[in-house]
Amino acid sequence: MSDQIRLDDSDRYNLMLALTGLLVQGDEYEVQELAQRFEVSKEEIVKAVKNIGYMDMAHFENPDRYEVDYDALDEGYVRISYNIENVVEDVPRLSSRQASALAAGLVYLSSLPGLAENEEILELQGILATGDSRGNTPEVIVQPGSKDADLLIIRQAIKLGRAISCDYLNLKGEMRIGRVIEPLRIDLRGELIYLKGWCPENSDVRSFRVDRMRNALMTEVEISKAARSAELDDEVYHSSETDTLVTIEVDPEAFSLMVDFRPVEEPESVSQYVKRFKILVGDVRNLGRIVSRFGGAARVVAPDSAKVAVREFALKAIGELKPTQPKDAE
Amino acid sequence: MSDKKVSAIKISKPERLFNLTCALLYTTQGLTKNEILRSVPGYEGEYSEGGDNSSLERKFERDKASLLHNGIQLEVTIPAHEDENNQVTVYSIKRESFYWPKNVKFTPRQMALLNLAAEAWVGGSLSTAASRGITKLRAMGAIGEDSDIVGIAPRIQASDPSFRDLNNAISDHQVVNFDYRNPKTGEILTRTLQPWILQKVAGQWLVMGFDELRDLPRNFMLRRIVSKVTTAKPARTFTPPSLEQIAATVAELDALAEKQVAKIQVNRDSEAWFRYELDLQGNGSSNEVSIHYHDIYVLAEQLREYAGEITVLKPEALIQLVRAGFEKVANDHV
Repeated sequence: MSDQIRLDDSDRYNLMLALTGLLVQGDEYEVQELAQRFEVSKEEIVKAVKNIGYMDMAHFENPDRYEVDYDALDEGYVRISYNIENVVEDVPRLSSRQASALAAGLVYLSSLPGLAENEEILELQGILATGDSRGNTPEVIVQPGSKDADLLIIRQAIKLGRAISCDYLNLKGEMRIGRVIEPLRIDLRGELIYLKGWCPENSDVRSFRVDRMRNALMTEVEISKAARSAELDDEVYHSSETDTLVTIEVDPEAFSLMVDFRPVEEPESVSQYVKRFKILVGDVRNLGRIVSRFGGAARVVAPDSAKVAVREFALKAIGELKPTQPKDAE
Repeated sequence: MSDKKVSAIKISKPERLFNLTCALLYTTQGLTKNEILRSVPGYEGEYSEGGDNSSLERKFERDKASLLHNGIQLEVTIPAHEDENNQVTVYSIKRESFYWPKNVKFTPRQMALLNLAAEAWVGGSLSTAASRGITKLRAMGAIGEDSDIVGIAPRIQASDPSFRDLNNAISDHQVVNFDYRNPKTGEILTRTLQPWILQKVAGQWLVMGFDELRDLPRNFMLRRIVSKVTTAKPARTFTPPSLEQIAATVAELDALAEKQVAKIQVNRDSEAWFRYELDLQGNGSSNEVSIHYHDIYVLAEQLREYAGEITVLKPEALIQLVRAGFEKVANDHV
């Protein structure tokens, strides 16, 4: 959608190959149109087209080249003609890695119920394999995760721009009945599926875990203007000013914590394979569960209140401490 | 103005690669390295006839690798009567291996799915590969549009530091070394692996390959790799596995999960109760759940999250493991 991606040399070369493959079919395009199609800036398109025009085979006793209409290019149109044979005349194949990255992405998508039928995914993978320059040995496989029926309703509601109501189990373990959410986007994150939605109660965007949702229903209510204009980012958790800064140390086995909880600054290396980072935590009591999970591969270094919380959680889990009640936001 | 001497202008790397690609497609008998350096724009400006061209030759070697990484198969041939002389190796690109097969077209819906699939990769080499792949597909006609595919943001995290290096080694068929921590004993051993594929199973990235130490196909979990992944010394390549070999090893892994079953008891209406969807099983449903697993340590981790809500019933090793993890955590936090 955006043209924010910075291209490196290999990306630019790849873009030149793709553009040539498209333009040699003989159609004229607007620069703007091509920028949108390839999701790059207009400047990148102009540069690539000019470079295609500079291709030079004079040393091979061939004075022909791709003829770029430079006047048209100045006015925002792209058209090339060519009279040489046996240069780039069609779209090149994908590398095995390119093909398998896309194929694995497709499998991951198939974990979203109702998005695409298995046959559709298989057919697309088949096409990708034929376009893989080295035959069809996959380099990456992603097995799809769990499915959830409520997702179908949520997707339908996003498409039609309607609010949903559902029962939702919050992190305190309470089931809230008939909660209204204005659904905006479904986020697939590893094993979990979140719904990013506008919460009219809090007038804010919140992330809801779909596996904690029950009895989703589409309502007749259209989603509000506030919801439609809300900014969506990639974060699942938003910190607030009252959060505690916690330092955590991890072995490679628990590096995933650094991805799940965006550290506030670049993680530092403590020893060759131990890293230390800081995160903001709403309620340190939630750390018990998060850190204990790793059975030793993750350790809270500071503050003491967080260390105590983790210790208490672990002791409680083995029955050596009376339970206390952890709490969390959504 | 003669448009011959464009080579006086600095030629960028993308341009040079493009010129090289066109020259190698155009040639019928193939080109020797010297012919390439002498004639292809991007090299020829710096070529010195009869002089030292070693830095230019290194540039050419790097460019060859760039082409390969972009999926271009270089034909490298040595004419039969001169097989002793490296200088006469000739390079070309076979047109049938270069282009997409004719008549392959994507519908707007297929393109929309592929766009989404490419977006799913966050960071790392596969995100680059997916975006370059999709760039090529976007040249094939349809623009991705489908009203059904809105409001979805998939993200596959491939954050393990070893991911990129293994991925490169898989592409290049390079044998690799890394230190691997045995989850049972904690012992660290250097392993030598012919990496075949990367696989995400039950939320964990695995590299499957041929383990030269054990002389068998094996799976390694990326998060248990505790060193950099390095090329074996001296560097050597391996013959890539057949699809059947990969399929057999994947099937073995599935069979393992089929065989290994844990049983847990879940407290009614707890979070775990919903996690295991016991509320959907109807009234009077049992509060016991059987879980098939690939890896007992990963399962123990998952179960520790539901401390206080579940009781592990079997196997005994799992009960011990869950408990030992909590004990370690308690001792680490005094």
